[in-house]
Amino acid sequence: MKPIEYAVEVENIHFAYNEKPILSNITFRIQDGDFAAIIGDNGSGKSTLIKIILGLLPPDSGIIKIQGQNVTGRSDFSAVGYVPQNSADSISRFPATAEEIVLSSLYKKIGPFRFPGKKHRQMAEDALFQVGLTDYKKRMPTEMSGGQRQRLMLARVLANQPRILILDEPTVGIDNDAVNQLLTVLHQINITNKVTIVMVTHDIAKVASYSNRVLCLSEKHFHESDLPSGTIVHAHPLQNDHRYEHIHCANCPQSHDSESCAACNQDHKSHGESERGHL
Amino acid sequence: MPLMFQYSYMQKAFVVGILLSLAIACLGVIVVHKRMSLIGSALSHSSLSGVAIGLLFGFNPILGAVGACLFASLCIEAIRKKLPDFQDLAVAITLSIGIGLAGVLSGFVKNASDFNSFLFGSIIAITPFELYLVIALVLIVLLVFLLMYKELFYISLSEEAAALSGVPVRTINFIFTILTALTVSIAARTVGALVISSLLVVPVAAAMQIARSFKTTIFWSIFFALVSTVMGLTLSFYIGLKPGGTIALLSSLCFFAAVIMKSLRSRFSKRSLPLPNKPEDLIP
Repeated sequence: MKPIEYAVEVENIHFAYNEKPILSNITFRIQDGDFAAIIGDNGSGKSTLIKIILGLLPPDSGIIKIQGQNVTGRSDFSAVGYVPQNSADSISRFPATAEEIVLSSLYKKIGPFRFPGKKHRQMAEDALFQVGLTDYKKRMPTEMSGGQRQRLMLARVLANQPRILILDEPTVGIDNDAVNQLLTVLHQINITNKVTIVMVTHDIAKVASYSNRVLCLSEKHFHESDLPSGTIVHAHPLQNDHRYEHIHCANCPQSHDSESCAACNQDHKSHGESERGHL
Repeated sequence: MPLMFQYSYMQKAFVVGILLSLAIACLGVIVVHKRMSLIGSALSHSSLSGVAIGLLFGFNPILGAVGACLFASLCIEAIRKKLPDFQDLAVAITLSIGIGLAGVLSGFVKNASDFNSFLFGSIIAITPFELYLVIALVLIVLLVFLLMYKELFYISLSEEAAALSGVPVRTINFIFTILTALTVSIAARTVGALVISSLLVVPVAAAMQIARSFKTTIFWSIFFALVSTVMGLTLSFYIGLKPGGTIALLSSLCFFAAVIMKSLRSRFSKRSLPLPNKPEDLIP
């Protein structure tokens, strides 16, 4: 039988900042083609976890693999597209056209000390087309709305044709319509191009209807009321799959296997069983 | 031939001024977008302490300025790494050390006029050695800027994303800092330490008001820096003004002109943005 391919594997990650533990004993796997949402309270370490996965922060211990390869010491992240938190805001005043911004991500493909050619411009144009910004090719971020800027940041990473897309709170600060447009684009990329999506979000009410995995990273236990079960059940009735996985909780720092963890089981019995049942 | 070009010192002043404007404007675009606008002040003040050391110990003050600038730029990088959340503090700390050292050391310099020439520059008293130094430096800066344009653009946009895309961020940052330090220290002799920071930042600020892409931002920055320098030198010759100060004031004037141009353009512009695409239209 062919082994299951994992886009991201995280095993027993520990990370402390100024001796204060931020992440302890985090273990989970994201399969190729998943649309995974990482949720959790403010300060629960969601963005830190993303940076550790990307090799931008070294963990105190643990193993991270991307497409089966260890992240430690890895320099080539061309298979991964990363849209950082507040990235749309950070470029809002940057004096560059959408095309220039998208072309910047093609660094590896263009090569050092060389200028982009026709082929690279076409790749940038295709990425802008994918996110519906073809008409904005020669526009600057100052001439775009927050939602359009967020889609521009998405186009920037899409131009590189990544296999895994990691987004940190991409729906923050943009209106409902813009969130829907962004999620529609991500959903299409996930379905059509089979790109694995890992998204840190607070907006679980919207994202849950597109994602097939919800990873909870929280000091507090996850409450059913946080997950609009109606939305989940109607949008993606997944067969025999656990979409909701508790990957960290204060009561069970030594175990993340919710099947064997008494604290999680108790929590799931009282709050989460209905989710598992539906999914 | 205009009267001022009949003097060889004015010819040299124009060559040096134009070349330095080109280099400073290119570097300035990156400096501003890396949010290190004060680096010019920090390095130019540090170069003054090098000048004082050179004058005190009897070696070429330009070499002293170059050494002090390189040391200061490495300090900035080291402090930036130590305080990643407060990167602007690295520039501010180096700036205060530079001013402090220059202030203390200048008290020991016997010939104060030598020291003052570095404060405000002496573009009309350029030696052949300084002329060749400037030509060599500017050629290097422009060549490196052209070769590393793509990398510098990406780092200015996002260091994190650039690193993930495989850009050797640390190496590029190091090369860029060294180039900036060299340019600032050599320009200190000509346009003066006190006006370098304005020439590094103000033409870029003016360009950002009217440019419609990153490339045109560079183009306009060079244009404003050149206009300020050429007009500054011309006015200083005919009216007898200090060239360094005149150049700095003119670059500020360019900024206000660009702001007015921008507001006029947005007032009269009827250009409307197309409506955002509907979600169902997004994917082919």
